[in-house]
Amino acid sequence: MRPLDPRLLRHARAARGYVALTAALGVLTAALVVAQALLLARALGAAVSDGATLEVLAPTIVWLAVVVAVRTLVTATQERFAHRAATRTIAELREQVVAHAVALGPRWLASGEGPSVVTLATRGLDALEPYFVRYLPQLVLAATVTPGVLLVVLGLDWISAGILVVVIPLVPIFMVLVGRLTQGRSEQGLVAMQRLGTQVLDLLAGLPTLRAHGRERGPGARVRTLGDAHRQATMGTLRIAFLSGMVLELLTTLSVALVAVGIGLRLVEGHLDLVTGIAVLVLAPEVFLPLRQVGVQFHAAADGVAAAGRAFEVLETPLPPNGTRTAPDLRTATLRLDGVAVRTSGGCTPHGLDLVLPPGTVVALTGPSGVGKTTALEVVLGLLRPDDGRASIDGVDLAEIDLPSVWTQVSWLPQRPVLEPGTIAELVGGDEASRAAAAALTGLDAVLATLPDGWATSLGRGGAGLSLGQRQRVALTCTLLAATPLVVLDEPTAHLDAAGEQVVLDTVRALRHAGRTVLLVAHRPSLVAVADDVVHVRSTAAVLA
Amino acid sequence: MTRGTLRRAVRLLDLDPRRFALALLLGTLALGCGVALAAVSAWLIARASQMPPVLQLSVATVAVRAFGIGRGVLRYLERLVSHDVALRGMTELRTTLYERLAAARPDTLLRVRRGDLLARVGADVDTVGDVVVRGLLPAGVAAALGAGTVLAMCAFWPPAGLALAACLVLAGVVAPAIAARAARTTEQRAVQSRADMNATALGLLDDAGPLLVGGRAGSELAALRASDRRLAAATDAGAGPAAVAAGLGQLAVGVAMLGALLTGVPAVGAGLLTPVELAVVVLTPLAAFEATSLLPAAAIQVQRSRAAAVRVLALLDAPPDVPATDTAAGRPPLVATDLACGWPGTAPVVTGLTLDLRPGRSVAIVGPSGTGKTTTLLTLAGLLPRQAGTLTLDGHDVDHLDRHAVAAAVVVGTEDAHVFGTTVLENLRVARGDLTAAEATEVLARVGLAEWLVGLPDGLDTVVGPDARTVSGGERRRLLVARALVSPAELLLVDEPAEHLDPERADALVTDLLNDPRGVVVVTHRLSPLAAADEVVLLDAGRVLARGSHADLAATVPDYRDAWERERAID
Repeated sequence: MRPLDPRLLRHARAARGYVALTAALGVLTAALVVAQALLLARALGAAVSDGATLEVLAPTIVWLAVVVAVRTLVTATQERFAHRAATRTIAELREQVVAHAVALGPRWLASGEGPSVVTLATRGLDALEPYFVRYLPQLVLAATVTPGVLLVVLGLDWISAGILVVVIPLVPIFMVLVGRLTQGRSEQGLVAMQRLGTQVLDLLAGLPTLRAHGRERGPGARVRTLGDAHRQATMGTLRIAFLSGMVLELLTTLSVALVAVGIGLRLVEGHLDLVTGIAVLVLAPEVFLPLRQVGVQFHAAADGVAAAGRAFEVLETPLPPNGTRTAPDLRTATLRLDGVAVRTSGGCTPHGLDLVLPPGTVVALTGPSGVGKTTALEVVLGLLRPDDGRASIDGVDLAEIDLPSVWTQVSWLPQRPVLEPGTIAELVGGDEASRAAAAALTGLDAVLATLPDGWATSLGRGGAGLSLGQRQRVALTCTLLAATPLVVLDEPTAHLDAAGEQVVLDTVRALRHAGRTVLLVAHRPSLVAVADDVVHVRSTAAVLA
Repeated sequence: MTRGTLRRAVRLLDLDPRRFALALLLGTLALGCGVALAAVSAWLIARASQMPPVLQLSVATVAVRAFGIGRGVLRYLERLVSHDVALRGMTELRTTLYERLAAARPDTLLRVRRGDLLARVGADVDTVGDVVVRGLLPAGVAAALGAGTVLAMCAFWPPAGLALAACLVLAGVVAPAIAARAARTTEQRAVQSRADMNATALGLLDDAGPLLVGGRAGSELAALRASDRRLAAATDAGAGPAAVAAGLGQLAVGVAMLGALLTGVPAVGAGLLTPVELAVVVLTPLAAFEATSLLPAAAIQVQRSRAAAVRVLALLDAPPDVPATDTAAGRPPLVATDLACGWPGTAPVVTGLTLDLRPGRSVAIVGPSGTGKTTTLLTLAGLLPRQAGTLTLDGHDVDHLDRHAVAAAVVVGTEDAHVFGTTVLENLRVARGDLTAAEATEVLARVGLAEWLVGLPDGLDTVVGPDARTVSGGERRRLLVARALVSPAELLLVDEPAEHLDPERADALVTDLLNDPRGVVVVTHRLSPLAAADEVVLLDAGRVLARGSHADLAATVPDYRDAWERERAID
């Protein structure tokens, strides 16, 4: 694990100012630690060896109080800004990751690393908080207090400094060792934990199904077995991780003990005065304290750094270059696919797809499930680049076109309609008369009749409050009222019965009547029948014929 | 949120008291070594400065080194023991959670959202378990160590000991309380914006394509930024008190040292304290705060764990299933009389349903989408409590029978049934544990998945996922039908088996199901294959509109005839 990934500073603005502040406070802390030790040694030394009274010590004690007060302030300031910086940095990274993942498109999100982005964006990045609040400040102190105090000890008593200097290089060596041993293992541990998590969740999510089959009792033992396996794996990791931590602690504590014994013996022989002895004794642990804290916070921070690393991986996944040319007007332009193929695990779905979409026509894509019909739609919409072949509008390759200029001309109704939150009227748009006419056609009027608030019914995110079939009707009405030249419908009759199917047929006819181009995926012959042209999609993958 | 919540949740962790006590002892001794190291070093140096014979220092020099070693070793052991205790507890809690949910009323689980379940079983249980290592143990160690140190200091010079006690309370009680309050403030203020943030981020990632094409990705990203800004504001609200807490912790160390100096120096002058003892009294407090420095974090942990415990307990407190009072084996026929079906607490979606199902008889339930057909199936299977009417198996009320007896007789395959993240074969074995590979291949062929099976990389041993990304919608549906078919139950209830299939295959599959020698209820919206059904029940607007054979309905019910004709015309 890199202590401070420069990419963090590059990607998160909030992190930069905070690192600077922490560094400044770190230097100040080093000075205060030294001042406190020297003042304390002076006061205590005088009291122990010379029997000094409070009156004599008063100035020293006052200065000591001042140092204590300033250290209090520094600590508070650090804490005050650490939380803020952490939250803002997490927010900045989250936005960038989500925006980048969205730009990478639905296909990327559904494959490989894609699904884990959800966890990363919603929860994973939160692990950066302990990194910022606890780890980073200690890391800075290790870079300021440790060398600063060591120099002072060197000035006071070179023999003690010698002991510390011998031990200090061992600390980073063991830190690296801790890092080496734990990084691989903590990544493994994370994977094992996620696997356990999904397996247990899988059992719980399937519990209704298990109950339906009367088989819910057995897996209880499995949950326990999974848990025990996880505990044993984790303890194996911890035994090693903690072992390195112990050696680190032994080295530092033992060297402080050696310094104390050394000072004691030289005091007896009169080679050292008590004030110096006390100062060195107080300072010696301070040399190691930040290093030890870095070790303590290491695990919490490692998760944060791992999460940030995954975020950077997402951010560094190159986006397909966006075209710059404005899309031709789809009212007059013809979209076409020539020999398009998209490679998937099983082969090419679709394979060798030719499709011409002249303005004002209805074209149906047919073929067995799994052949790549939806994929073909994604290619048409520019969400997916074909691995082979070409998608173009009036001869201009889709890759060269600024996609948003295409999308403003398209209404897309995916298999599962995505509705904005808001009232149905807001969602559907249009004026009252056109709304009513469209609703009559799509059967939305019947749905509205069952809703007490009618058009003013508020829908939650994703259309919560309506059944899938009802959402489909809302989405169809939207499509009808949108003024886009191209309409893309993906299996619009799924989730609908025969009466619902009729509604879709009527809608498609109305769309054609309005001179709009329709591309639809159809299973049912009725839908195929309304199309001007039917394209049969083929694949080279083993699918159901 | 009551104080007892966390206690109850901790009790559910079923911690081994001996292991926990051992961890506490080891932790206290480890940090005690640190304090003793500071005290003995102070004594050693102060005494040495008086230049006594070296022999007088030998015990101290050995003790200093011993404490130096003891600290590291004891701390290592304590960490191992405490983590083991916590991990055991989490497994215990998770198992209990599973078992309680398995025995809870069946509708409990159907109500919890999947994501919510993931959070509660995963992160929340971990958080409850964390309270052991990060909350209870540090608090216990700090209390034991603090008391010990104060007593030792009092033995030298009571005023310095009392000053130390006051400062330890400041650092170990006041500062953690403030820190916990700060965290609570943040948490409370952040709940809504965090939920908004989660929902927006999920929406963006789940529906990236439609949002991009619909031109709404930008506004959704802006919404994400806005919720994150509110989240940041909430954090700022808690950061102030958190800073005060951190400052207090630092201040306490300094004040303890100053207090020892101010009370100790005059005592030396008055002859109440030797100079060597003064050094011990002044320098020991510097080491005594190591345990309390962990407590603000511990207090926050306790609070987080308590919040997590509330969510976990809400699942655990789900009403348990009523115990069976009738020990009869579940046997056909399944007879429903005047059944009203609906989710508990909502109006029934279907009323007045009467049905007689026995082996060899097939019933098709048809009706417009959204008429509650799935709810009806769940009720018929005894998985949802019925709202009215009677439901019996071989004359015994289903509610009084053992759930397993009912499941042995009636099996329901709903469309949202779970595909487990395991092999195809194991997924089928959910219905019957002793299913052989040959039988599995046969049943998959029966539902039209033979070619799919051939195309799978590892055949029956191919791992399929719960996320349905590895199987298409149509394949998944048929896999579920296959699972219902392998069940040993004599009565099958199948929900929309033909969705996502072309008409020909859909009809073939429905016909095959209706001709199964067992008793079968099929919910479908395809009418063409229903000639194979002994009875067709037409639902509309929550009641039985008509029933009879396919031919009867086609002859007497205009709506049915229209729908059928439309279907044939479309095909």
